[in-house]
Amino acid sequence: MPQQTPLYIVASQHPRVGKTLIARLLIEFLRISGRPLVGYDLDPREPTLAPFFPNMVWTIDIADTPGQMALFDRLIADHWRTTVIDLGYGLFEQFFTVMAEIGFEGEARRHSLEPIVLFVTDSAPTTARSYADLRRRLPETVFIPVQNEASSFMFIARDFPPTRPEYGMIRIPRLSPIVRGVIDRPGFSFATYMASQPGGPTEVHTWIQTIFTEFRDLELRLLVGQLQSSLGAIAREPTRPAQ
Amino acid sequence: MAKPALILVGADKGGVGKTTVARTLLDYFAAHHVATRAFDSESPKGTLKRFHPDAAEIVDATVVADQMRIIDTLSTTESTVTIVDVRAGLLSPTLRALRDIGFLDAVKKGQITFLVFHILGSSITSLNEIEETAPFTADARYFLVKNFINNTSFFEWDQATHASYFKRLKDAQILTIPKLNEMAYEQVELASVPFLSFVANKNPKGETANYSFVLRGYFRHWLGNVWAEYDRVKLLDSFEASGSSAAAGSRAQAGNRT
Repeated sequence: MPQQTPLYIVASQHPRVGKTLIARLLIEFLRISGRPLVGYDLDPREPTLAPFFPNMVWTIDIADTPGQMALFDRLIADHWRTTVIDLGYGLFEQFFTVMAEIGFEGEARRHSLEPIVLFVTDSAPTTARSYADLRRRLPETVFIPVQNEASSFMFIARDFPPTRPEYGMIRIPRLSPIVRGVIDRPGFSFATYMASQPGGPTEVHTWIQTIFTEFRDLELRLLVGQLQSSLGAIAREPTRPAQ
Repeated sequence: MAKPALILVGADKGGVGKTTVARTLLDYFAAHHVATRAFDSESPKGTLKRFHPDAAEIVDATVVADQMRIIDTLSTTESTVTIVDVRAGLLSPTLRALRDIGFLDAVKKGQITFLVFHILGSSITSLNEIEETAPFTADARYFLVKNFINNTSFFEWDQATHASYFKRLKDAQILTIPKLNEMAYEQVELASVPFLSFVANKNPKGETANYSFVLRGYFRHWLGNVWAEYDRVKLLDSFEASGSSAAAGSRAQAGNRT
């Protein structure tokens, strides 16, 4: 089995649920391992992710066809590069509609690119419905629910089943409002902050550590899932005639 | 051998996407392994010929010699289906010519399968054309094709007028060609290859090309919808049902008995 390159799509249907923060954390986590990495901020009017990562995160407007080509054609061409997409509520529907219509899943599979939607949940009933609807429209895409405890204290697990039960979910713990200002400073880097611990670990250190651990565990679970499904395919093959 | 079939693709007005429809048919038949040849009557330089240089021959349907090239070879050609892309404005004259040379009689006798794709534009003048062609298409499978390919607005057809025309063609079937993304349309035109080659990202020499995946994706989606229309009207049955003369004969007998 060729190594699959992950294509993370951090998506939310509503504003102010911490989607960009999650995308920032994910990019910094992925950057530590030194692998080739690129990001896209799909909110051209108010790009909030791109300013944190000059020369790594690009802003693209996918409202029209040239923008869609700039994004999806490049994703296929750059299939060797781990990608993080910050997908805001404004173009949420458009993005997934185009993805389904142009048959992106099939093309991604041919290029060993694995789309993984990190779906930022909230307790609105429409959100659970749209989650189920997306999973139906994109059957080959991995869906992982994300609960951001800062914006949503309720998480109903049965409303947001992951693609495989063992994939689980991602939980982003709440950070005290007092230190929240620290991480929102322009140019703030989680990884740099982690590397410098002048007076011992602070709440921010623990918080970043927890989230990075969540991401690392998710990567392992995804890898095990990939191995299991490819082993399963091999194991099923010889038994079929006997059945 | 299957009974020969002739398909006319025409419109009485230019610029309604007639050649595009002819091209979707060529690809549809190719995908279903129906041997097809095509004549392009956009003399002297046909657009169909540009995209399907192997399949398309250019003819001038108003010239008797060229009519003979099409009609007289119907029963001897290797191809089951012959598609003629009729030049804009020549659908009615072509149908009249086919009647005059006895072709329509052969259709009536069940010797030849005859299909007409009449491509309609978005204005009311298109409907007047239906009236002109109606007398010649009694024994054909007649398709009225509403072509939305480069159209965002709906047909400006008044429902009552619409109904009065369509009543006259009881056996006509309506096909809808959906809208296609403009940039995908443009790129597929520029590519100068059959639609299926474009979807497969191949250049005219059969090498891997560099067409946008997004545009190919949009195009494949559109072509899938067009083919679904052909499936819906069971287009292929026109040729399979006529595959054995015995079947055609039993149908004729059944007709006599009633």
